[in-house]
Amino acid sequence: MKTRFLKLVLPAFAILLAVGLAFATESNTVSQVAYYQTSSGVMEVTIGDDCEPNGDISCTYFGNQLYAEPSLSTPLGRNP
Amino acid sequence: MHTGTFIKKRQAIVETICYLYSILFLYTASSKLMGLSDFKLQLDRSEILGPFAEWIAWMVPLLEIVLAILLLTKVYRLVALYGSLILMTLFTSYIAWMLRFSDHIPCSCGGVISSMGWETHLVFNAFWVVLALIGIVLLENLKKINI
Repeated sequence: MKTRFLKLVLPAFAILLAVGLAFATESNTVSQVAYYQTSSGVMEVTIGDDCEPNGDISCTYFGNQLYAEPSLSTPLGRNP
Repeated sequence: MHTGTFIKKRQAIVETICYLYSILFLYTASSKLMGLSDFKLQLDRSEILGPFAEWIAWMVPLLEIVLAILLLTKVYRLVALYGSLILMTLFTSYIAWMLRFSDHIPCSCGGVISSMGWETHLVFNAFWVVLALIGIVLLENLKKINI
């Protein structure tokens, strides 16, 4: 009886714990649009919120530096 | 000659490993599904995974959920442990490859795990690979004893 109870309760507890933890630690990442220069002009791409204007480590998209505006004046980077 | 205590201890270790893996997979799958658009975005930025981002964004969490459920059932536990080992080895190889060859590593992991540094993440994954190996060896041995 006790074993049967544990067999049902333990998996249910594990599932609830995992899903509960996922909700509890959900981060609110915000997407933003960034711009980069290609041979065919300025292209845009949606990126995460880890890239900031003038960050230390360059944010790139397939090797191209990303910028905050279409005028490509503010480079985006990550801060360590 | 294996005593009852010896077998019970091994069963308890296997059970613990399976439960830990289940919690990890359900946690990361839920986190990925809750932030699916961001998860796709991160995959899109990966040079290797980018072309398959849409497909991978659905398949990885679904596979994690299936493995987590199978790990909780005694019948499919060994198959699920092998599956977990393969999946975790793939994740670890991806991180190792990106650390070695890419200037920028997009994070496509779930929940608080994404806030780990990539070297820490590599060690974390390696730990889970070892855990799956221990589980497989113990469960294979238990099967032999029962035969």
